[in-house]
Amino acid sequence: MSSPISAAARAADVWKVYGSGEAQVIALRGVSLEIERGKFTAIMGPSGSGKSTLMHCLAGLDSVTRGQVIIGDTVVTGLGDSGLTKLRREKVGFIFQQFNLLPTLTAEENILLPLAIAGRKPDQEWYQTVIQTVGLSDRLKHRPTELSGGQQQRVACARALAARPEVIFADEPTGNLDSRSGADILNFLRRSVTEYGQTIVMVTHDANAASYADRVVFLADGQIVDELTDPSADAVLDRIKRLDLSVQAAAE
Amino acid sequence: MLKAMLRGLFAHKLRLILSALAIVLGTAFMSAAFVSGDTISRGFTDLFSTVNENIDVQVTGKSDVPVNPAGGEGLVTALVPQSIVDKLKTVDGAQTVTPQVVSDGARVIDKNGKAIATTGAPRLGGAWVDGDPAVEIREGNPPRAADEVAITANLAKTGEFKVGDTIEVITLQPRQKFKVSGIAGYAGGRDSLGGETFVFFTLPVAQELMLGTPGMYSNVDIKAASGVSDGELKRRVETAIGTTEYKTLTGQETADAQASGIQSFLNVFKIALSVFGILGLITGAFLIFNTFSMLIAQRTRELALYRSFGASRNQVLNSVLLESILLGLVASLIGLGLGVLLGWAMTKLLASSGLPSGSVVLKPAVAIGTLLVGTLITVLAALIPALRASRVAPIEAMRDAARPDKPLRTMTIAGLITLAVGIVLLILRGTKAVDNNVITLGLGSFLIFIGAVMLAPALTRPITGAIGKLVDWAMPGRLGVRNTGRNPRRTALTAAALMIGVTLATGAAVFASSVKAGVTDLFRSDLNADLVIAADFASGPTAGFDPAIINQVKAIPGVTSATAIQSDAVRLNGKDGFASALDVEPSKTLFGLKAKSGDIRDLNAGEVILNDAFATETGLKPGDSTTLVTARGGESPLKVVGILQPNQLVGSPVVSFADAQGFRVPVAQQGYVKVADPSQVDAVRAQMKTLVADNPEVTVTDPSEQLKQSTSFLDLLLNVLNVLLGLTVLVAVLGVINTLLLSVFERTRELGLLRAVGMSRSKMGWMVATESVLISLLGALLGLIVGTGLGIALVKIFGGDFLKLTIPWGFLITALIGAVIAGLVAALLPAIRAARLNVLQAISYE
Repeated sequence: MSSPISAAARAADVWKVYGSGEAQVIALRGVSLEIERGKFTAIMGPSGSGKSTLMHCLAGLDSVTRGQVIIGDTVVTGLGDSGLTKLRREKVGFIFQQFNLLPTLTAEENILLPLAIAGRKPDQEWYQTVIQTVGLSDRLKHRPTELSGGQQQRVACARALAARPEVIFADEPTGNLDSRSGADILNFLRRSVTEYGQTIVMVTHDANAASYADRVVFLADGQIVDELTDPSADAVLDRIKRLDLSVQAAAE
Repeated sequence: MLKAMLRGLFAHKLRLILSALAIVLGTAFMSAAFVSGDTISRGFTDLFSTVNENIDVQVTGKSDVPVNPAGGEGLVTALVPQSIVDKLKTVDGAQTVTPQVVSDGARVIDKNGKAIATTGAPRLGGAWVDGDPAVEIREGNPPRAADEVAITANLAKTGEFKVGDTIEVITLQPRQKFKVSGIAGYAGGRDSLGGETFVFFTLPVAQELMLGTPGMYSNVDIKAASGVSDGELKRRVETAIGTTEYKTLTGQETADAQASGIQSFLNVFKIALSVFGILGLITGAFLIFNTFSMLIAQRTRELALYRSFGASRNQVLNSVLLESILLGLVASLIGLGLGVLLGWAMTKLLASSGLPSGSVVLKPAVAIGTLLVGTLITVLAALIPALRASRVAPIEAMRDAARPDKPLRTMTIAGLITLAVGIVLLILRGTKAVDNNVITLGLGSFLIFIGAVMLAPALTRPITGAIGKLVDWAMPGRLGVRNTGRNPRRTALTAAALMIGVTLATGAAVFASSVKAGVTDLFRSDLNADLVIAADFASGPTAGFDPAIINQVKAIPGVTSATAIQSDAVRLNGKDGFASALDVEPSKTLFGLKAKSGDIRDLNAGEVILNDAFATETGLKPGDSTTLVTARGGESPLKVVGILQPNQLVGSPVVSFADAQGFRVPVAQQGYVKVADPSQVDAVRAQMKTLVADNPEVTVTDPSEQLKQSTSFLDLLLNVLNVLLGLTVLVAVLGVINTLLLSVFERTRELGLLRAVGMSRSKMGWMVATESVLISLLGALLGLIVGTGLGIALVKIFGGDFLKLTIPWGFLITALIGAVIAGLVAALLPAIRAARLNVLQAISYE
């Protein structure tokens, strides 16, 4: 266990239960997890394993049924709407599978949107670094509809990075992209961790994508079942196969 | 297929409810106007049938006197003499012959010294007739002495009078005291027939005070002997007294004639109100057009799917039209129900002020008309969206539903052309090239409005962008501004609905303020008087003061010139119109009368001074002879002594006070007084007040106060108009809510993202509110511009001295503030929806 200071986010014995009675679904069963600061963490697992739910709970997008979530020094569990709003402004960045850019804003305005909403001035030096890293300098005045999917996702990455949040949560960021654009994005995420010390949590079901991470956490049936450090794509695939077998065995 | 598509209709409940509400409001308003009008009219018909129940035949004098357009129909002028009554008694088959005296204009003074007013109903005075089955004494006795009167229960209640009280009554004579000998009511327990008051005098007193002529009657009621039909009796009466001087009607004909006067007034009322209902419906049509366009855009995939299953274009078209028919029909039905309820409430409200009422009347034509109009407008509004739906290609089931907006160029060019044609039509009217008002004014204004609506989409971005600069500094504001420009067609259509009401209100405001300014200027520049005696406008056509009082006014120290003005409708040179009696010498100072030809001097009996327009029209010159017919004085010869230069204050022929004695009412309506020194005005005013102190229907004021009173009527009219136009604004606000709800729904994911990157709930609300306020401001602004333009055009076209082009800035600013408030109100529900979105669900919303 690392010290609390080095953890960017933590989940302690988190349970998430949907519905009640017959229709009850337990998505998370007592998950405890520390996201190390300055590391790239991937969360993997088969469909229905609870990996997205875990990320939503970690990011404060969804409430937990039991247990506690902490981001930085903020206890997320039990925060009201204004507390959560403040948390999202200051500590959390998001990258979505569907890019989710605002069509009425230019690329630049989209990137600066979280800062504008929070009423903060962008750090010019950092902003230049970000747009150069994502390679968007010549596309800043374009609207999202004038950009390719890969470019749109790079705008979304820049948007998440611009505010230098405690943690960036990326939900299948390459899911809607061709393999080359996907690789661009993953390289970019890797660089922001290595070069700028950004903490990133990524949910994916793609072993190749997971191989860019420092650490892969495997989820099955709402529980953490395994993890790998400095994984290769083959190692990840291997674990997934084993997991699938064990899940099948458990089912039988 | 049909069932499946109808299910699609009901999947968007809230939006349908909003659209339906627009139709409901419009149809309710329209049907309420008719229901209350018809109910009141039935009430009157029943009433007159009751009143005339015991009359088989009625004889009145044939009124061949000029009709006073200002009212006073009840001021009976052609009378029936005793000799005719005697002749009627000899008619075979006439069982009873009852001569009557009834006339309008018996004003009773209440305990505060004011004349008791009615809400438009006459204040009758007449002779008590023993044995009239329609009237009964409830308390006390009928009037037996000259100083006794009986009053109706309605009057007793209003004035809090009891048997034995002394009351004062103004009639053709100034106020006189009478003792209340009894309180009367009508058969069936009614206190009044229709809100009127009635004072019963003894016959000779009534003849003198109400008719001004002893030995005369206003009408004679005849009851037929058994076995003689009303028609037969009428024929016999006509044979006996002829048809040239007297009018003989059966009871039914009398009732119909009495009711028809009311009917024509009620028709105006019904049509005026339903025009506003239809305006509301047209406003609603924009809302429905928008709703159906949106529903179809959303359901493009679904419709394409049906097409790919083999549904034909017509099937799609018909199903959408069927949806609109259903919607229109259901909404109109609810509206009709609501309208009947509203009409009933309105009737009850009016009944409390004395109008007759009965059970609610819903004519089949009204019910069918309401349903038809409501449904038709709905279907017409849905027609274009329906056609668009039928053109959805099957392939679009597979495509992403988002289609780029069509360019606005065609629409904008068409709008410019429409606008130009409209303007040209107004110019043609302005230059008198074309005189047809329907084509020039009506069609021109309509085309200008439609052109503006068509231009609105192209104007949306520039206008909202410019206004948006004000809120651009904050992120919610900036996003709101951008969202407004996202779908200019939708924004513009939503705003256009608001334009309807604002355009009409603005046009009316510009015209009214120009009238006000024109009249004020006239008063200020042409009237050279310090004090005014005037009969109160609300006191009816019989109010006024004895013109001789002005001689006493002239004697007050400090008064330099004074005249009374006594006006009435007359027939001069064979032409019906107004004439006034006034003192000509002082009027030269007071009104600036100047001679164009002949002499302008004080007149003797049989002399007339013509105004310029009258002289030009008739070709009469000084020295010519002509004739004058007055209501009471009959025909007399006149000699033209002079012709006036055009004068704004005196615009009718001037006769002598001697000839004015033949006018309907022996009172002057106005008096103007000039005082030598301004410091004496207050002293003179006080003395004048004592002179008319016993006349509660006359006030002493100054010209500016009088001006305020006369223009306050205009303000009242404008206020009523604005309240009625409020209906269209209400419907337009529903439209804004509708559009915003749809936007919130369409942009769920974006809203989720904004929340995810740290936008607070209140800022979400402000973003929606910004969009809403911008839409309302756009509509208001366009409406104000078009309305002001049309108002200016009207003022220019009608011209004249009583119009001075004035822009009502206060109104324009109030309207803009109102638009902001309306926008905020409309934003409420959509903003709450946006703020309440669950972030997680919104962001993953497909």
